[in-house]
Amino acid sequence: MGNVILRRFVSLPFVIFSITFITFWVGFLAPGDPILSMMGGRNDQATYERLRHLYGLDQTWNDQYFRYLGGLLRGDLGLSFRYQGRPVVEIVSGGIPVSVSLGAVALVLSLSIGVPVGIWAALWQNTTAERLSMAAMLMLYSIPSFVLIPIFRWVNYQFYARGWPSLPVAGWGQPEHWIMPVLVLAAASVGYIARLTRVSMLEVLKQDYLRTAYAKGLGQNRILWVHAFRNAVLPIITVVGPSVAFLVTGAFVVENIFAIPGIGFLSVQAIQQRDYPVIQSTTVILAAAVVLMNLITDLLYSLLDPRIRVEG
Amino acid sequence: MAGKTLARDRSLWMTYWLRLRSNRASVVSLVGLILLVGLAAFGPLIYTKSAITPDYKAINAQPLAAHWFGTDNLGRDTLARLLLGLRVSLIVAFYVEGLNILLGATLGLLAGYFGGILDVLVTRLADMLFAFPGLLLAILVAASFGAAVTDRFGGIGRLLLVAGSLSLVSWPLMARLVRSQVLVLREQEFVVASRSLGASDAWIIVRHILPNVAGLIAVSSTLDVAGVVVNESVLSLLGLGIQPPDPSIGKMIVDSMPFLEANPLQVFLPSAALMLIVLTVSFLGDGLRDVFDPRSLP
Repeated sequence: MGNVILRRFVSLPFVIFSITFITFWVGFLAPGDPILSMMGGRNDQATYERLRHLYGLDQTWNDQYFRYLGGLLRGDLGLSFRYQGRPVVEIVSGGIPVSVSLGAVALVLSLSIGVPVGIWAALWQNTTAERLSMAAMLMLYSIPSFVLIPIFRWVNYQFYARGWPSLPVAGWGQPEHWIMPVLVLAAASVGYIARLTRVSMLEVLKQDYLRTAYAKGLGQNRILWVHAFRNAVLPIITVVGPSVAFLVTGAFVVENIFAIPGIGFLSVQAIQQRDYPVIQSTTVILAAAVVLMNLITDLLYSLLDPRIRVEG
Repeated sequence: MAGKTLARDRSLWMTYWLRLRSNRASVVSLVGLILLVGLAAFGPLIYTKSAITPDYKAINAQPLAAHWFGTDNLGRDTLARLLLGLRVSLIVAFYVEGLNILLGATLGLLAGYFGGILDVLVTRLADMLFAFPGLLLAILVAASFGAAVTDRFGGIGRLLLVAGSLSLVSWPLMARLVRSQVLVLREQEFVVASRSLGASDAWIIVRHILPNVAGLIAVSSTLDVAGVVVNESVLSLLGLGIQPPDPSIGKMIVDSMPFLEANPLQVFLPSAALMLIVLTVSFLGDGLRDVFDPRSLP
């Protein structure tokens, strides 16, 4: 086990380096002089120099990069271009809990629907109901969120028009504001998780030890839940990493359409205001979140699967 | 059967074509894709309504004689916008796959074949780009360079920037796939035999390696188109893609969404067009995968 974990931690700095290095260079190469646009029409050399120094833009690129890295380690993300002198941390920190809680609820929901559906499909293989449900899961997986949202909203409107209970179209703060965004975010991962669970369960059901379990007269339920499920659930853990990557891209679309003040919403606001330090920071935060989730799933996997521990 | 004995006289590409033709889903999706490309190429020439000039007498109109698919909230003709949006989606997909093949497939092939320092550089670069989940890197690049590129090079520059940033996300995967295939091929008997007969690297790559990875490249770039079309829409609806007033399918969907209750067609028609591209390309890609699978050779 030590080896696997060690290897993970060795590749971690490389990944973090890649993310910060590329993000830094994209920002460094971005055309236009942010200080000039910040000053507007004023033409004052002294102020210009002072601002350039404040933002560290008068240093060489490697000084700037190390200053940026050092700042990241201390949790200092630099200063905003748009809101002069305001630290980026202040701007983005409000969005993190919003996005994390939204993503976590969506992930839990998609696991708690996707896994049972996948297991059910494996047990009822080659029936019409199974084929239909798997086709539905494929649809869920392949419909982009911005196509799914209008469908949800239209159905919701039909409820509203008939005076039936309906949901708010956008906004944040009330519990009912969660329902539609979470359903949309969960949809794609449900399809993905259900299909993967089915494959993994089918793989396990073929194994010899299950035939042995049947042969020695164990009950159906015990075989299913103790022998088959415990082994089938292992590969499902690895799904969590890619699912979080889905959720990150989904968050951009969903948060913007539903006006939810999360990281994705703040990034797009920063894009419209050309506030590059904020865009850089949200990119680093989101990428780091996915890296961290991948690391946790890998650790969990090697903890749960004795074969990996031995071979690693 | 007489046809069976003749099979070995056919060229490889003829065999592939016959195999593709025998799969109904592939044929339907191929025809669908050709129709979509035809619509994007010639549609705006035949249906000549302006996609930009608003018709103030028909704001948020339902389909009528003057506007076949109705109009959006500014009174712009939806069919005309849809045809141009389709064109944008397909052009971006074409550029991205071009870049993926030119950059990803070539680098993957050379890295896999020659190994050494080139292999290390290519794999490391691909790994660096893989560190970014999903669309994140494309969003960052398009956001940082978008405004300046549009100012200097106009709409075409913006289109190329969108394609370039989307390719940043997808070429590493192509490079990785091709490289791993070439690593296997390099050690195969026919390649070793060719080398021992004195064939040059260029000859081996062109005559032996390339024909054997061509199928993989065709399949993965076709399947990738579905993702690229969706991603282009995401960039556009975030305001990073094609700039207004030029139409893009993603932007059309989001711009019409506030008027969903009054005029749902303005949202659902572009959505349907997008899903049509995604489905035809996915089915065609799956069909091609079966065609190029060596295990299904006669």
